[in-house]
Amino acid sequence: MLAGALLVAQAMVLAGLLHRAIVEGAGLTTLLPQVALLASILIIRIALGLLGEVAAVRFGEAIKARLRTGLAADLLRRAPTWTASKSSGALSSTVLEQVEALDGYFTRYLPAMLQAAILPIAFAVVAFSVDWIVGLLFLISAPLIPVFMALAGWGAEAASRSQAAALNRLSGRFADRLRGLVTLKLFGQDATETARVRLASEELRVRTMRVMRIAFLSSAVLEFFAALGVAGVALYVGLTFLDLVNVHSTELTLAAGMFLLLMAPEVYQPLRLLAAHYHDRASARAAVAEIERELDALPGEAAPLAAVATAAASTGAATLELRAIALADPTGRPVITAADLMLEPGARVAILGASGIGKSTLLEAIAGLRAFGGDIRIDGKTLADFAEPLLRQRVAMLGQRPRLFAGSIADNIRLGRRDADHAAVRQAAQLARVTDFADALPEGLATLLGEDGLGLSGGEIQRIALARIYLRDPGLVLLDEPTAHLDAATEALVLDGLAEFAAGRTLVVATHSQAVAARMQKVFRIAGGKLLAAPKPVITDRSVGAA
Amino acid sequence: MRAILAFAPLLGRLKGPILLTVLLSLVTLLAGIGLLGLSGWFLTAAALSTLGSAFNIFAPSAGVRGLSFIRILSRYGEKLSGHDMTLRLLSDLRAWLFAKLFPLVPLARRFGRGDLVSRLLADVEALDTVFLVALGPISTAVLAGAAMTVVLVLALPGAALVYALLFFAAVLLVPGGLVLASRAVGSEVVAAGAALRQAVLDGIDGHQDLVLFGATGEAATSAATASEQLARARRRLGLRAALASALVQLLAGGALLGTLVAGFAALEAGAIEGPLLAGLLLAVLASFEASAMLVRSATRLAGAAAAADRLQAIANSAPIVAEPAAPLPIPPGGDMRFEAVRFGYDPEHPVLDGLGFAVRTGECVAITGPSGAGKSTIAQLLLRLVDPDAGTVRLNGSDLRDVADAELHQRVALMTQDAPVFLDTIRANLRIGRDDADDAALWRVLEAVQLAEFVRGLPGQLDAVVGEAGRTLSAGQARRICLARTLLSRADVIVFDEPTSGLDVETEATFLAELPELTRGRTAIVITHAVVPETFDRVLELRAGRLAGPTRV
Repeated sequence: MLAGALLVAQAMVLAGLLHRAIVEGAGLTTLLPQVALLASILIIRIALGLLGEVAAVRFGEAIKARLRTGLAADLLRRAPTWTASKSSGALSSTVLEQVEALDGYFTRYLPAMLQAAILPIAFAVVAFSVDWIVGLLFLISAPLIPVFMALAGWGAEAASRSQAAALNRLSGRFADRLRGLVTLKLFGQDATETARVRLASEELRVRTMRVMRIAFLSSAVLEFFAALGVAGVALYVGLTFLDLVNVHSTELTLAAGMFLLLMAPEVYQPLRLLAAHYHDRASARAAVAEIERELDALPGEAAPLAAVATAAASTGAATLELRAIALADPTGRPVITAADLMLEPGARVAILGASGIGKSTLLEAIAGLRAFGGDIRIDGKTLADFAEPLLRQRVAMLGQRPRLFAGSIADNIRLGRRDADHAAVRQAAQLARVTDFADALPEGLATLLGEDGLGLSGGEIQRIALARIYLRDPGLVLLDEPTAHLDAATEALVLDGLAEFAAGRTLVVATHSQAVAARMQKVFRIAGGKLLAAPKPVITDRSVGAA
Repeated sequence: MRAILAFAPLLGRLKGPILLTVLLSLVTLLAGIGLLGLSGWFLTAAALSTLGSAFNIFAPSAGVRGLSFIRILSRYGEKLSGHDMTLRLLSDLRAWLFAKLFPLVPLARRFGRGDLVSRLLADVEALDTVFLVALGPISTAVLAGAAMTVVLVLALPGAALVYALLFFAAVLLVPGGLVLASRAVGSEVVAAGAALRQAVLDGIDGHQDLVLFGATGEAATSAATASEQLARARRRLGLRAALASALVQLLAGGALLGTLVAGFAALEAGAIEGPLLAGLLLAVLASFEASAMLVRSATRLAGAAAAADRLQAIANSAPIVAEPAAPLPIPPGGDMRFEAVRFGYDPEHPVLDGLGFAVRTGECVAITGPSGAGKSTIAQLLLRLVDPDAGTVRLNGSDLRDVADAELHQRVALMTQDAPVFLDTIRANLRIGRDDADDAALWRVLEAVQLAEFVRGLPGQLDAVVGEAGRTLSAGQARRICLARTLLSRADVIVFDEPTSGLDVETEATFLAELPELTRGRTAIVITHAVVPETFDRVLELRAGRLAGPTRV
């Protein structure tokens, strides 16, 4: 604002200088003090502008950082079943690109809006004091501009929203396709998929251009009025000088005329700036809508982020009780209708059943990862009565698709207990038979893993995930297909380790493997939406080759 | 900066739109300079003219109006053509990069996936500023500045040198200096962004594990740290830009004052007339409009340079296997032969050592062996995802190193252990195996893998969209979609790497038993540790990188 006042002063001094030099014929030396004044005004104005910009940048970055952090925490706070139903590419793009799209709003649009609301009117009032006709011209033409801009802005915003959606889809598609690059290449889809990438990208271009045509139209409207204003002032002042138009009692000086001409573009400048940044607002609103769409379409059950447990959990093997459990699979189809189960501490059971029948879903429900109907009790307490950290202490689970994170094998195992020392990690790794393959690697357990555990086989990933659990001290252990990717010989070794760890704990294993089932005390089968006791299989030699 | 120049060939294709954009923006700028200059001259001249003298007001007023309209129209056109050109370039860049990725498969550990997505989207988009912001505006500003200097030389020689020096400092030196100064920060921004994306992707893809181990708090903290880092880097970038923009304003002020002082001196000496001086002063002010924009873009130019470096790093990395210069055709048939193959990621400890075996056309052969015996490596060698260190892999007698990848991939199909289900319809997922498969063929293959009933129950059936990484399907169903896709292909040789992992024993046994029938007429090589049904022709057992000898013939 102060910069705005200085701008008026600057224009006045400059106009006065011109007047004195040109009309009064003052010499250079007499004008120097005024030139110096002009110079100091310039410098102060620039310094003020610098301060303002720095403040805007700080403000914008602080807000974006808070938003990103908040969104990331919000994602983690939701139920894993919710995240699993979403495209990770689109979600990560929400946290990064969509938040970044708010940048223009905070650093450019907001300051511009503030200036546009005050400066044109203030300038017009100043102009009024010099010449009321020009002042009137400013006062009338300037407020008209936002009206037109708002009209043009509506369309721009709708178009901008569809563009944000397109950008997110594109991002999700890239993440998805990159994951399967090998498959696409081996099926000779490289050319087709590259063409599809271009197509998706072109679609984005068409959408963006639709936004731009309208967004630029609004600024063209503005330019039109601004140019009209400048040209109008120039003509009016010129004609007044020539006495072709005379509505004044007093003579208009060159200083006054020049001042008006210098002020004319400045009256419209804040509005032009606002227009230039208007689509920042449109894309920010579109980004907010996209964030809301991605994150709120399915409101997840909010739970506090896990902290280290402080209360002491009960130790020793847990009891598990399922009463009339009803569950649906991810598509909403009911898979389990009335499952009942009662496990004494230290029980070891296998759950068999064809794939897709609900074994994983049942384990996830017991681990408190998904919603269910009925009653699940651990140690006699319902799941709802467990504080999250206590539940995690009591129950450990191995999912069907455990994820390895960037870092070493040891780091990944240490996810089980973050303060575990090297000896403990090594012991867990030995028990889970991770050392069998890790010790053959040049760096052993310190070997770094790529994302998604690239470079490791499915069976190796599974064993690392198992070692994580071996670092913990749960009363109830839930394992989903712990040996799915293993050959019979390795499977037997892993099961030996498991037996050692499971001593004094309750164990539930969902499996296809007869070898696993044969080692349990009891076997259940999911059939007709219920858990039924099944005969224990006799160990058969599964592998023809290994023997 | 050199990396940016490497993209010049892509620019060549867009020569027309680029020239149009530069021309339009030059017209816009010159019209703006002319508009203010003419107005200033007109005003002063009018004020000085004595009452009733014959002052021609029509030419200047028509000029003022004309310049305004030219400016409005050319500005609109310039913006449209500039953005359209940029977006076309972005499409080209995306396709270019994607095409570059395929020869580099398998990407292995070189680039994390989060990092790659970031490269594809953010880096490619960062490059647009180079063309929309740097190329166009710099040439426009230089041309307009040169024109203004010429005018000054003619009308006010005393000011010409000062103006030229300050103007070119503002449009060339300051942005250039800013680019250099923000380079390191620019790469920091890009790197922090990639780290944040990786943290978020880890949090999403590994969400279940994080919850199970009570580590969501730590994951949120690491995302917050990355986010803070990004904000810090961007803030530093913003401060540099603010400083540069202040510097440009100082230079503009200097030019104005210089012209003013020189003008007053000339006026005193009678070398210039008042109206002309007023016009020139306003024109000088207007010409600095060009520099304001350059500063804003220079910061992004620094980020773009870093992005270009990273893109070029991908493009220039050497593929793991090299295509032959003159590929030989593969004779018909499906005979696969390993001849004394040795292979190791670490040459000291080869995974395979002296492996030799042959599979004849139409045979269905299982390869078994303990984990880590090198089974999956055989699959990679069969598809030439890697080359053997010694020995030869042959298809119908052709050394795989002598044939074109594209032809090899038509002839040999692989279902990997981690084959993905794409975020797409069932139909599109299956058609990856064969582009032109009709619905009848799709249903037949779904029937074969015992998925037909499930798909019939889905809303939209073949058009039902299955989630990313197939997460709306159960593990077994996802595997079977991949099986169906592989069976659909026209390949003579089909390699299955653990095709039944995640399936229950009954489905596994049924599927394996039916495999020889499903692949009849084609060669099937099945890597598995499941019980191999009697219907298979042979079982080869792998032990410590060699064949333990056929256990069943």
